Amino acid sequence: MNWAHLASQTASVVQQVIFATALFCFAVVLLRNAIGLAQLLVATWVFATRIEPSEGARDLWTRYADLALPVTVVAPAFNEELSIVESTKGLLALEYPEHEVIVVNDGSSDATLDRLIRAFDMEEFHRRQVADLQVTAIRKTYRSRRYPNLLVVDKDNGRKADAANAGIGFARTPLVCVIDADSIVEPDGLLRASEPFMHDDGRLVAVGGAIRVANGSKVEGGSLREIRISKDFIPQFQVCEYLRAFLTARVANAHTNTLMLISGAFGLFRRSVLIEMGGYRHDTVGEDLELVTHIHRHMREKKRPYRIAFVPDIVCWTEAPASLEGLANQRARWQQGALETLGFHRRMIGNPRYGRIGMLALPQVILEDLLGPPAELIGYVLIPAAALLGILDPMAALVFFFVSVVFGCGLSVGTLALEEHQLRRTPTAKDLLRIGWAAIVENFGYRQLNLWYRLKGVKRYLKSDSTWAAVPREGFNA
Amino acid sequence: MSALWPIILGSGWIVGAILVIFAVLVLRRFLDERSADARKQEDARITRSYLRRVAGHSPEDEGKRWSASRRLVAVSHLQSLLRGGDRSRLMQIAEFDGLLTETIRRSTSISVSNRVDAIRLMQRFGSEACIARLRQMMARDRSYRVRLEAAFALAATSALPPPRETMRVLAMLDRAPNRLDMALLRASAPEYTDQLALLLKDDLSDRWHAQLVDAIGWSRNPSVAPLLEEAAKRSSSEIRCAALRAASKLGQPCVEEWVKARLSDPESEVRVQAANACAALGLKSAIGALTHLRNDEHLWVRLRAEQALEQLAPDLLSIVGKAA
Repeated sequence: MNWAHLASQTASVVQQVIFATALFCFAVVLLRNAIGLAQLLVATWVFATRIEPSEGARDLWTRYADLALPVTVVAPAFNEELSIVESTKGLLALEYPEHEVIVVNDGSSDATLDRLIRAFDMEEFHRRQVADLQVTAIRKTYRSRRYPNLLVVDKDNGRKADAANAGIGFARTPLVCVIDADSIVEPDGLLRASEPFMHDDGRLVAVGGAIRVANGSKVEGGSLREIRISKDFIPQFQVCEYLRAFLTARVANAHTNTLMLISGAFGLFRRSVLIEMGGYRHDTVGEDLELVTHIHRHMREKKRPYRIAFVPDIVCWTEAPASLEGLANQRARWQQGALETLGFHRRMIGNPRYGRIGMLALPQVILEDLLGPPAELIGYVLIPAAALLGILDPMAALVFFFVSVVFGCGLSVGTLALEEHQLRRTPTAKDLLRIGWAAIVENFGYRQLNLWYRLKGVKRYLKSDSTWAAVPREGFNA
Repeated sequence: MSALWPIILGSGWIVGAILVIFAVLVLRRFLDERSADARKQEDARITRSYLRRVAGHSPEDEGKRWSASRRLVAVSHLQSLLRGGDRSRLMQIAEFDGLLTETIRRSTSISVSNRVDAIRLMQRFGSEACIARLRQMMARDRSYRVRLEAAFALAATSALPPPRETMRVLAMLDRAPNRLDMALLRASAPEYTDQLALLLKDDLSDRWHAQLVDAIGWSRNPSVAPLLEEAAKRSSSEIRCAALRAASKLGQPCVEEWVKARLSDPESEVRVQAANACAALGLKSAIGALTHLRNDEHLWVRLRAEQALEQLAPDLLSIVGKAA
């Protein structure tokens, strides 16, 4: 064996490794997009055949108000002094026969609690906690002299999961709706989200609803007064992302009973199931994904029939990060949360005992969150490089571009078309064009940047970094 | 090379088709926006025309050919604003204009969604022809959702068939009851109290028995009180709970004694319902027993007893609270 032979063998091995890696990256991207297309088709079918909420049923629901299961809306709040009063007013004004609002002040260092006490004429009041799910101490509870359905819980800081758990522990109603304090719930959002419980025979344990980006919209009194589209590109890109996530992926997943995520911004749950499970986990930054995965695991291990539903109508609006810094923190946290959830529930992956959740849904999470981001990023570099070096047919680089970028544009625009055809919540044709343009442009830079942020999340997960990187918000009407 | 071309062409075609669909939708929206003012004015003219006809005047723009769908929109809008004689005159005029025929034709559509839309319109018309068609749909439509919607439309127009028929048509007894079944049975109660009482004699599961007992409470008929009292003595706790809910709704003083007696029921969920019923009926004579329940072994009984006391004797609770 001489050096020349060794070098040629090494080159051959390197070529084979590059070829195999490129093929793997290509396969992952192709599979992700194929799933995206399948989801778009399923969602189109669901929307085309759906029956919109019946006025007749609603009329009877109003007449027999006690048939609507009472709901407790739990709103964890941390340093929300600027918006808490308006948000709470919006929650109190929700259309629902019987609902209580529990605002949990999670150890805010600003005047959140004072604002609540003054605005709603709160007095100290001992309220017995039904279940003790939080890990931090409850300081005091307050009730309003003016609004009998408002309770404020003041507790030590322990992050959103802990605050939500405290609120769930105080809830006395069969259903609990956990939201973010800055979420803007549609006036009839609670009514629409709880409609699946009207048809339920006892198996339904949770309902998610579609969330949309409110940046640029006009918000007054905790309610959305006028839908507008932000003029900035970053929120516009996120409008496309939210539509893709809620109107195609989740609708399709719910249709195939593989829904794995109910957004932390709005989720309706059966209280008894949350309490049996011990509520949200405190040791993860992705508590919403973990909760739904845990519900699947809990119900399947107990061998109890159950169902998780999704309402494709928009029930809630949220403020998306408007800066790259905020976006980076949010996406890294989502990625870290997904990996943590996969780690906690690894025994479910590929395990037939957990049915389609173990065999289909979790492998899809792996494809989307574990393999997808690095495979696509590596593919962008490796495949053209391999083509230039003559390892791959140059045509392969073009195919990769088509499958990742061009196809990505198609899926985004397809979701927009679905939204326009079925929901029509984009204000004007001009806004529709702007969002359509953003759906194309996002594939050239923003998409790749997001993949990078997600890799940062992988790094945080590997370092077991549990610090909470805040997402700076500008506030509505900013 | 040949293996890769189909992928490029396939993606290109799919994306191209999606972009064309999107462009068409944007164009449609653009044209809609451009014609919005004209449409609004025309809608106002149609509405004005119907209002004049309802008042007995000759219509404006007589001879104008407005589309059935536009006229239907105007009529739907107006019927929610008008009451009494004006409303029925409007619906008669709409029938003369053939709008009902169009709606009934829609009710035979192949699409479930279209049939449900037609049901909602027929519910608004509420004429005899509509009710007859709704009954037909409730009895014979191939889709359960459509049958259910038709039942709700009939309930809203107080034209539900007897409860035994409703239960048979919707195959209620073949499945666990849901809250919509409960609503339909409650809607039947004022008109078919005797038939609900007869159904109680059937060999039904405890769950369905409880639903019927619950519905009877909505009959507004004081003569059902003995039936509820009897149900409150049944061995099934679910039926006893339903009897208490029904008694709360009935609101008759004659139920007081047996409702209070259930505060010492061996089952905690029955005690919870009894505490709720005492609060709903405003039974001040139950304050003693409710105070005792504040030390019940079950948390939910304690909580509901406290809530009932908050309502019945708020002063007492604050004194106890201060002492504690």
